[in-house]
This record gives sequence, structure tokens and C-alpha cells, in this order.
Amino acid sequence: MKNGNPIVQMRSVSKRFGEIQALDNIDLDIQRGEIIGLLGANGSGKSTLLRHIIGLYLADEGRCLTFDTDAAELTPKELGRIGYVHQEGELLEWMKVEQLIRYVSAYYKTWNHQLEEKYIADFDISLTDRVGLLSPGQRQKVAILLAIGFEPELLILDEPASALDPIARGQFLDLLLGIIQDENHTIIISSHILSDVEKVVDHTLIMRKGAILRDCSFDSLREEFIRFTLSSLNGPLPAELPFANTVSCEKSGGRAIITVQNDTQEMLEAKARELNCEIEFRPLSLEEIYKIVVSRE
Amino acid sequence: MLLEIDYHSGVPIYRQVIRQIRQQIMTDGLKEGDQLETVRELAARLKVNPMTISKAYSFLEAEGLVERRRGVGLFAAKVKKGHLDQIKAKLLDNIVNKAAITAIQLGVSQDEAVEFFKKHYNEYNAKNRRQK
Repeated sequence: MKNGNPIVQMRSVSKRFGEIQALDNIDLDIQRGEIIGLLGANGSGKSTLLRHIIGLYLADEGRCLTFDTDAAELTPKELGRIGYVHQEGELLEWMKVEQLIRYVSAYYKTWNHQLEEKYIADFDISLTDRVGLLSPGQRQKVAILLAIGFEPELLILDEPASALDPIARGQFLDLLLGIIQDENHTIIISSHILSDVEKVVDHTLIMRKGAILRDCSFDSLREEFIRFTLSSLNGPLPAELPFANTVSCEKSGGRAIITVQNDTQEMLEAKARELNCEIEFRPLSLEEIYKIVVSRE
Repeated sequence: MLLEIDYHSGVPIYRQVIRQIRQQIMTDGLKEGDQLETVRELAARLKVNPMTISKAYSFLEAEGLVERRRGVGLFAAKVKKGHLDQIKAKLLDNIVNKAAITAIQLGVSQDEAVEFFKKHYNEYNAKNRRQK
């Protein structure tokens, strides 16, 4: 499914804002057809990274290619293939919602009117309201429509769902999954609401202090850490437990709750059998995995 | 193919898909030669990423449970007897293992535990026979 060059290629990209190292030597390839979850605390560099992709910020050092074009030299031709929603998105405040949609859609030959109608109905958008007077949630819905209406090949969503209520968030995620059914679309979604992205992403980037800590498939991140409870069938557990790469271990008498890295259920089961213990696995949520990764490195 | 995906269980979705399809093939829910939904159909229906489904399918193919017919699609494969027994043993092993441990923890003797197992086995088996 991965055809052609990566859609975005970053090589040794660094960026400073005064004292702050916003991006620190970033190497990154983004493949076509992926939904990428970009995770990180506030100030970790997520928005800065995304802005480099579309040339809103230019790297101090290194190079960023988007659609095989230097991000500094993107023309309307390439930019017309990118949809971008961000936190403090500026819209034309004095227009009515319908005017704004007509105004933006006129720029795109590929504007999908059917999608627009469906979106307006599904998300309950009021066309006659003045844009400047919309609630943050309504405003975000309009911004999303303007970014997806022309069916961009690359959709960049910077905290897109933060102002949406839970039901609208659910609808929004379903919408993303609808878009990705066509392999030609790539979505990068940054969020700190981890339970949101959990359902849709297939690749994860974890950032901290301007650096990328993890760049891997979501499934392999999921399987990197395993948590289990060990219950001895006779007496207390031995003082030394035979598990390598232990991330955390709480022990009390005959029971222990342990998290390990890079091990398989089969191997752990075999060890539990040797120890004459019951073993019970509990999958970790993305939030727990995220905390482990960020605290360890 | 009736599949249920729990998006928040923490178990990777492709593993949930593999497990449920394997189960259906082993219990004749999917019979030899039955065609599986295409990657696109299944992904759209379950609302998951197509790559997730295609990953699950390639694992099932490697396991020998499904076979790819070029240009046609994926089908439940004919599984060789020896291999079939192996998979069955593994599926059963996990569950019986749990039951054995629980019995030991509760101080239930081996004979009692076996009786329990027989009782449940016979109960369902009798029901099944009556229906047929």
C-alpha cells in the first residue's frame, strides 16, 4: 500500500525561538495512507512540527520536503492538496457561515458538495450565523469543514477536537475513518486527548522537548509494554523475579503487578508456569503507554 | 462475518480480528471455501484503518487458515488435520490452564475439578444432540 516517496520528508530539522529549542534535529518520513497520531505535552513542539510541513515556519537547519517540494517553496498547486486545521484558526469573522463556505470552496476545483451537505447536516451547522459570533465548538466545526471539503491528500489537524463535545468528537473521528478508507489520503492528528486518537491512528509519533521519542506503528507501541498480575499458587513469591526489562513492579506477599518491555505473552506465561504462578494480562491504554514512554527517556 | 471490535480494550485491533476469524474458522462458522470480505469492505464496515485489516489477513494467511486466490480474494482454507489439532489444542490449553489454576487456588481436588468439567461438557453436548 505504500507507494512512491514519503509524502513528507524531514532531515535534521532544527528550529529555535530565542532561548527555546522548539525542534531538535528532527528526522521524519510520513508515508501515504497513514493516520498518524502526534502526541506530546503542551510545548513539546507538536504545532511547530506541523507548521514546518506546510512552510508556515522555516527550519533554521535541515530540510523539509512536502510532496517532494521544499516546504519554503510550496506553491498553490501543492498547498491546494493540504488541509490544515489549527487551534487559533483565523476565519473571516464578518462573513456568515454560508458565505464563508462559498468563498473558500470557490478556490478548489475538487470541492465535494455532497460531502459539504452531509457534513452540515451531521454536525448541525447553522449557515446563517455570523462567523465571528460562533461558539468555539461551532467555529471548530466550520474550520474542519473548510479543511476537508476539497478532499486534501494531506490533512493536518492540530488539536482539532479540543472544543467539540463528546458526541461531535465521536462523529468527527468516524468522519476521519471515512476519509482514510481511500488509501490516497494521509492524516496527521495532534491531540492530547489520547482516548480520541486511540481509535483511529495506525502510526504514532511521541514528542518531548522538540525531539521525537517514538516513531512507530501504533500496534507495535501497543505491544511494546505488557502489564500483568502474578499470583503464586503456594506461598510468597521469590525475592528475585526472573523478568528482564522490568518497567515497574509492585509486590506484596504472593502477588505482584509487573510491567515489562519487549516481551511476549507466550514467554511470560512459560515463566509464570515455572514459578508456579497464575498470570493475568491487562492491556495498557494509550495514556498509560504514553506516560511510560515519556517518563523513561 | 460477524465481528465485534472493542476500540478501548487496549488489545490491538488486528489481534481482535485475527482471534475472532480464527475462532469462526475453527468452529465452522466459516467453512472451507467460504470467501472473506475484502479488506476495503471489512475496514469500512468496522470503521477501522484498511491497513489494520490487511495486516490481520496476512497473519491468518501465514497461519494457513485462509488462502489467497489471485485476483479473486481470500477464502477459508482447507487446514491439514495435524495443524488443525495443534490450533485446537492451543485454544483449549489457554482456557483449561486458567480453570486448573483457579481450582488449585480454591483448593478443589483434581477429581472434583474433572467432575465439574464433565458436568458442563455433558450438559452442552446433550443439548446439541437434541437439536440435531
